[in-house]
Amino acid sequence: MIYPRIPFEDHFRLSHDDLQRVLGIAQSSGGRFAEVYLEYRAYSFVLMEEDIIKETAESISLGMGIRVVSGEKTGFGYTNDLAFDKIRRAALSAAVIAASPTTAKVVDLKAVRLARDVYRVREGSHRAPLEKKIGLVKEAYAACRKSSRAVKKVKASLQDSIQFVMIANSDGLLVTDARPLVKLTCVAISEKGRLREYGFSGGGGRVGLEYFASELTPQRIGKEAAQEALNLLEARPAPAGEMPVVLSPGHAGVFIHEAVGHLLEADFNRKKTSVFWNKFGRKIGSDLITIYDDPTIPAFRGSYNIDDEGTVPRKTLLIEKGVIKGLLQDRLSAGLMKMSLTGHARRQDFSDIPLPRMTNTYIEKGESDPAEIIRSVKKGFYADKFQGGQVEDSGKFTFSVSSGFLIEDGKLTAPVKQATLIGSNVDILNKIEMVGHDLTFGLQTGTCSKEGQDVPVTDGCPTLKISKMTVGGLE
Amino acid sequence: MKPTAGRDDLLALAERLVRFGRVCGADEIEVGVGDGTEFSVDVRLGEIENLVEAGSRSMGLRIIKDKKTAFASSSDLDEETLKRLIRNAVRRAELSSRDEFSGLPTLSKRGVDPAALSIYDPEIEQLDSKTKIGLALETERIALADKRITNSHGASFVTNDGTAVLASSNGFLGRFQKSYCSLSVGLQAGATDDMVEDFWFSSQTHFEALERPEQIARTAVERTVRQLRPRKIKTQKVPVIFEPMMTSGLLGFLFSCVAGTAIYQKSSFLVGKLGRRIANDAITVVDDGRMPGKLGTSPFDSEGVPSRRTVVVQKGILKNYLCNTYAARKLKLRSTGNADGGGVGPNNFYLEPGPHAPSDIIRSCEKGLVLIRTLGHGLNPVNGDISRGAFGLWIEKGEIAYPVSEITISGNLGELLKNIEMVGSDLEFRGSICGPTIKVAEMMVSGT
Repeated sequence: MIYPRIPFEDHFRLSHDDLQRVLGIAQSSGGRFAEVYLEYRAYSFVLMEEDIIKETAESISLGMGIRVVSGEKTGFGYTNDLAFDKIRRAALSAAVIAASPTTAKVVDLKAVRLARDVYRVREGSHRAPLEKKIGLVKEAYAACRKSSRAVKKVKASLQDSIQFVMIANSDGLLVTDARPLVKLTCVAISEKGRLREYGFSGGGGRVGLEYFASELTPQRIGKEAAQEALNLLEARPAPAGEMPVVLSPGHAGVFIHEAVGHLLEADFNRKKTSVFWNKFGRKIGSDLITIYDDPTIPAFRGSYNIDDEGTVPRKTLLIEKGVIKGLLQDRLSAGLMKMSLTGHARRQDFSDIPLPRMTNTYIEKGESDPAEIIRSVKKGFYADKFQGGQVEDSGKFTFSVSSGFLIEDGKLTAPVKQATLIGSNVDILNKIEMVGHDLTFGLQTGTCSKEGQDVPVTDGCPTLKISKMTVGGLE
Repeated sequence: MKPTAGRDDLLALAERLVRFGRVCGADEIEVGVGDGTEFSVDVRLGEIENLVEAGSRSMGLRIIKDKKTAFASSSDLDEETLKRLIRNAVRRAELSSRDEFSGLPTLSKRGVDPAALSIYDPEIEQLDSKTKIGLALETERIALADKRITNSHGASFVTNDGTAVLASSNGFLGRFQKSYCSLSVGLQAGATDDMVEDFWFSSQTHFEALERPEQIARTAVERTVRQLRPRKIKTQKVPVIFEPMMTSGLLGFLFSCVAGTAIYQKSSFLVGKLGRRIANDAITVVDDGRMPGKLGTSPFDSEGVPSRRTVVVQKGILKNYLCNTYAARKLKLRSTGNADGGGVGPNNFYLEPGPHAPSDIIRSCEKGLVLIRTLGHGLNPVNGDISRGAFGLWIEKGEIAYPVSEITISGNLGELLKNIEMVGSDLEFRGSICGPTIKVAEMMVSGT
């Protein structure tokens, strides 16, 4: 990181001795493990719609979460008032879970220096003048607005934040991180006669504002949003029923996020609720698929230097040639399952208990030529742009496509809109017939929800062919 | 460590910040402060899994200067931090564009008495931890006693108690206290590779209105096991019966299409439809923020506009969009008391019940689908398109024949509203958006 780190104690006004004292209170009932998570987040927002800068916002989130773990039990308290009596109360709330008062000895805290920095920031957005952010929003807006007279409404916004975290635990760990995050997005509404459609684009990541000068310009974001909304005016309803499906490279990674990623989160496997819990080391899909989750990809939205338990994360192999090889771990599950930490514990903010989560999840590239994949389909559905998806523990999953094409005799033909696809993960993973050599990552705008907690994520995927899947169209 | 801040009265703090904003040059300023406590316990397989107890405060404000708007919020209630946010907001407002529609609502004389709304239950705060943990344990225990249940996602008991305060430079000063409690359980049935799952819950403002553990456990078990051994079905168009939870989901989608913000942004298929028929005459949809004891009830919205009852759809005719002050001005309408932060939110938004017993609705189908759960997104307010993953029960000759899964349902909300053939009598207020069982004449169901 180029910009200087702000001393953490300026935000939290807590010394190492204070933290040690808090950990002592948290362990006063005998909890095996205690942890303090301090967070200070400064967030800013610029919104343009109706051709004007409608509003700006600034938000500050400050607080402390205190956790005590005893076996499978977690006690948790939090406070956004860092006065000592409030902290003490939060620590005692967390301590309640452990019921055998002992005088636990807290190991001396040792500050850990991080060797790796995955953030790519020259011009930290939290320090940039608001005028500059407004300028970026206006550029995206204008590019979208002037794309076509059929674009009737545009909304462009920039959100950025810097999140300082400090984590101390009863093992003596003391570590800090300062995580930048920025997102510029544009929405277009197009109209033709009585038809009205919606287009979206955006980007960003753990980057500075210079990203929008070099990597992805506001103009491109604006034009892409307009283009999607315009294309949809020409699209017809999607087909309905079972058929061969080809997924476009990029955000089709939402498919693997839902079909595989969630159910390899360690908590669901420890509790044996995931359909995968008894399939570790077993082949559950086509040997064409290898899947990773990698929190260390520089500049990506899902990346971080440490996870929300202070663990330095590593690229984690989940599926190798169709065989389950790894789980996404946090301390609780890794400890109980006697497996290694992978650095995938995340929390939405200080008021939440950390959970094992995905970061940047992707299918490794294969060997097929993408054009060849399309040519191999006589009659099918090409899923081009994606919205979210969902999965349940049984492995039934969905993802939604906002636009796509029919494939007829090996060629993309009529554009089609809106369809949700549904399948059962083991079944669909075995129906992956071809994997392209064109691994691409989706827009840096994604958010994943689990148990009410939202965290930023990215996903990636090469062109993929599924021999048969249910498409929920209208025709 | 800082010394403990004195126990500040929230109203006094909000008023002080309003005055400070005016001194800093804001033409108008609105400050909301919230103070809440949370208790939650998750139990699983008879043991406590998570126990959370905490209190927190937050502040949000809006400033208008020269018809230019800026927002700020903070969970750090240190007064120096809040004053800095106000000074910044006044400066930032200058960088926004002048917007003739901006500004606070004009003060209403007719307030709503919070006490009459009965949304605060002092009993909840008095419940001891043992009782609360016991409720969750009891619910799960009853469910697990059923041999068909093979695993548990756990049971949870949650309570919240919050005070909301709002002060603004137009002279509004209001405060209310609201409580919440919920009891839920999630279950699995069947072996790992044939697993089905579901959950059930009760949530209320008052503890005594909460369903008992037996009732929640039995419903959760029934909802789970009825899905065992599902079949796949062929792609076809059939009548679809929405269970109340599914109707509620559909109404949530309708809400996003009648929100005034979506209307002026043209991101709703209901733009320009005010006064027009959008549904058949069995359909009456109401938003009512004044129903005593309900989860969506409050005396005023986030701008201080008194809550009211608004008929949104009356016998099929679109009567009102739901607006905050800004959307109302843009649309030359009046605020309906639906301001929620910077946007628009529901109060109690519901479909009025009809005459039909749910069992009669099922009997009316020669062949059809009872929609029991959906999975995923696939709702597009701009054109009303619907395409969702679904789980259901197949109907043959007016009787439930077998469960079905791995299907999708698709249609369009605009067309669907005109094709609701029957409305059930079983409306229950389980959340702020709710509806009874309904029967839609025909939807596309995709399977094999």
